[in-house]
Amino acid sequence: MFRVLLRIALASLGRRLSRSMLVVLMIAMSLWGLLFMEGIYDGMTEQFIDNAIRSDSGDISIFAKGYRLDPGLEKAIERFDEIEHVLTADNRIRSHVRRLRQDGLIATAHYSRNAAIYGVELEAEERHGRLASYLREGVYDFGKKGRGVILGSRLAAKMKVGLGKKIILSAQNRDNDVSALSLRVTGILKTNNMALDENAVFIGIDKARELLLLPAGASQISIMVHDKEEVPAVQKQLAAQFANLDVMAWNSLYPALHQGREMMEVFNLITSLLVFCVAGLGIFGVMLVSVLERLREFGIMLAIGTTFQEIRTIVFVESFILGLSGYCCGSLLGGLTLFYFYQYGLDLTMFSAGLDAFGMDAITYALIRPSYFLTALAAVTGATLISVLVPLRILQKARPIEAINKI
Amino acid sequence: MDSSFLEIRQVAKVFSPGQDVELKALSHIDLNIDRGEFAVLSGPSGSGKTTLLNIIGGLDGASSGEVVLDGITVTGLDERQLSGLRRDHIGFVFQAYNLIPVLTARENIEYVMRLQGHGQEECNWRIEEVAGKLDISHLLDKLPNHLSGGQQQRVAVARAVASKPKLILADEPTANLDSKSAANLMDMMQQLNEDEGITIVFSSHDPLVISKAKHSIVLRDGEVVANEHVR
Repeated sequence: MFRVLLRIALASLGRRLSRSMLVVLMIAMSLWGLLFMEGIYDGMTEQFIDNAIRSDSGDISIFAKGYRLDPGLEKAIERFDEIEHVLTADNRIRSHVRRLRQDGLIATAHYSRNAAIYGVELEAEERHGRLASYLREGVYDFGKKGRGVILGSRLAAKMKVGLGKKIILSAQNRDNDVSALSLRVTGILKTNNMALDENAVFIGIDKARELLLLPAGASQISIMVHDKEEVPAVQKQLAAQFANLDVMAWNSLYPALHQGREMMEVFNLITSLLVFCVAGLGIFGVMLVSVLERLREFGIMLAIGTTFQEIRTIVFVESFILGLSGYCCGSLLGGLTLFYFYQYGLDLTMFSAGLDAFGMDAITYALIRPSYFLTALAAVTGATLISVLVPLRILQKARPIEAINKI
Repeated sequence: MDSSFLEIRQVAKVFSPGQDVELKALSHIDLNIDRGEFAVLSGPSGSGKTTLLNIIGGLDGASSGEVVLDGITVTGLDERQLSGLRRDHIGFVFQAYNLIPVLTARENIEYVMRLQGHGQEECNWRIEEVAGKLDISHLLDKLPNHLSGGQQQRVAVARAVASKPKLILADEPTANLDSKSAANLMDMMQQLNEDEGITIVFSSHDPLVISKAKHSIVLRDGEVVANEHVR
């Protein structure tokens, strides 16, 4: 019997082909928009987070107790070898790097600014967070004698220094005296982590030890794990293991980004609700008109023995065909669009000046998550179910003889 | 006293009861129709023929009285039971044919049989048999809007007969047909009545049609004014 009901539903949709196609198109386009926005916005958020993790926090960072609130050389991490042994032995951890950080002053003959001096190991940083990929100018190298310096892009712009230019770096050393180094700019980084681009001065860790008179220790150990799902467990275990240190996950170090991700989930939910409304209203309109136009036809069917439940099946089948056709077209279109932007990125170079101000990448790579498609499916399914309730109510109230007499 | 196949006891129908323009369509109708009869309800327009057929078929409710069809009290059934009754026991032929426009003639005839749960093979066999009797075998794959009025009405009769109902109710089945088609249709229905033993009750005010009936019931202003077995 279902075959006959399906045949009636399909034939009825075919009879109003342009109207049916319009609803399918409407659902498909709104779904395409939803998927595109979700993928791109999530891509932007995740790029923000990824930049912060790769260039600074890692998935987890270890600091000396109280360093985050009151940074200073006296709060350097001691016993690095012991910590490194633990980190190397844990197979959930992919990589770790140590950094020595001190606030200081960068100066040229004309300008001077506050700077965050990072003593880093470039090779380890490259393995850890692919820092070299952020290089915009110059080389990813401090030179043979380690007298090179890599600057954040905004800092370089504000200092009006370019490659090969000489700068003086000065900072308070461990003896509370001021030390200074004369260095040449070998590279300029643009991480889109605004804190780094505005202030960061990267020098070799040995050069930093020389500047700060600190032969051992580190300000920060940044850790990357293989599986991001493992971050809370690894953080908890390390915190328990090194109770005298602060072990913090990236979302504690960058709470705004974490909130941004949560906001994006709310945004996605709202967008799904919009799709639900668009699909619901579209199907509701078509099904209401369709039912009202066919009251006589349904009356005949009721008169010759069709039950209301069987008529309801026809209406539901029509509604589902409209909804699922729209969903399939929209998902296919949205999925292909997202795949393209996942591969090649959305190039917003023409807005790069504006994006720069917010620390955003000019090229945004879309994300593709199964949840986008599942949420959209739930929204469209919900819309198809709810949108036929009123038409079905009208049908349920109609007596066969009254419906037959409707012309 | 032997009970009839179809008993209509004190059936009355009032439209808009209790309102200023109350309309009495039927007044305490008592009728008995035996199994296998070929009965006609005749009378002028507004005499209550269609209303009575609708009440017998459970398409409309009676204001009072009861209709008993083969032991089933039609007037006491709920909507779901009425659907079952119409599906399994009654075939309808309407004045305006009332075929399902999106289904072919074959699918229209098959429709009620599928509702009854018959398999495809059984449906096909029965469709061929009925279509042969009604001379519509060559029309089976056509949609209703590609058929003439007479052809559509024959398909409607085939739909009513194919499901092997106990009773066929036909409301002015020849009203929209020319006299030749009307005579043809009545001959075919008479033949089906004899071959299949189906009780047929139809309404008409066409003298040619009325002359074919074995049991003639005349209504006027909602009352039975004549009730006689002709042959």
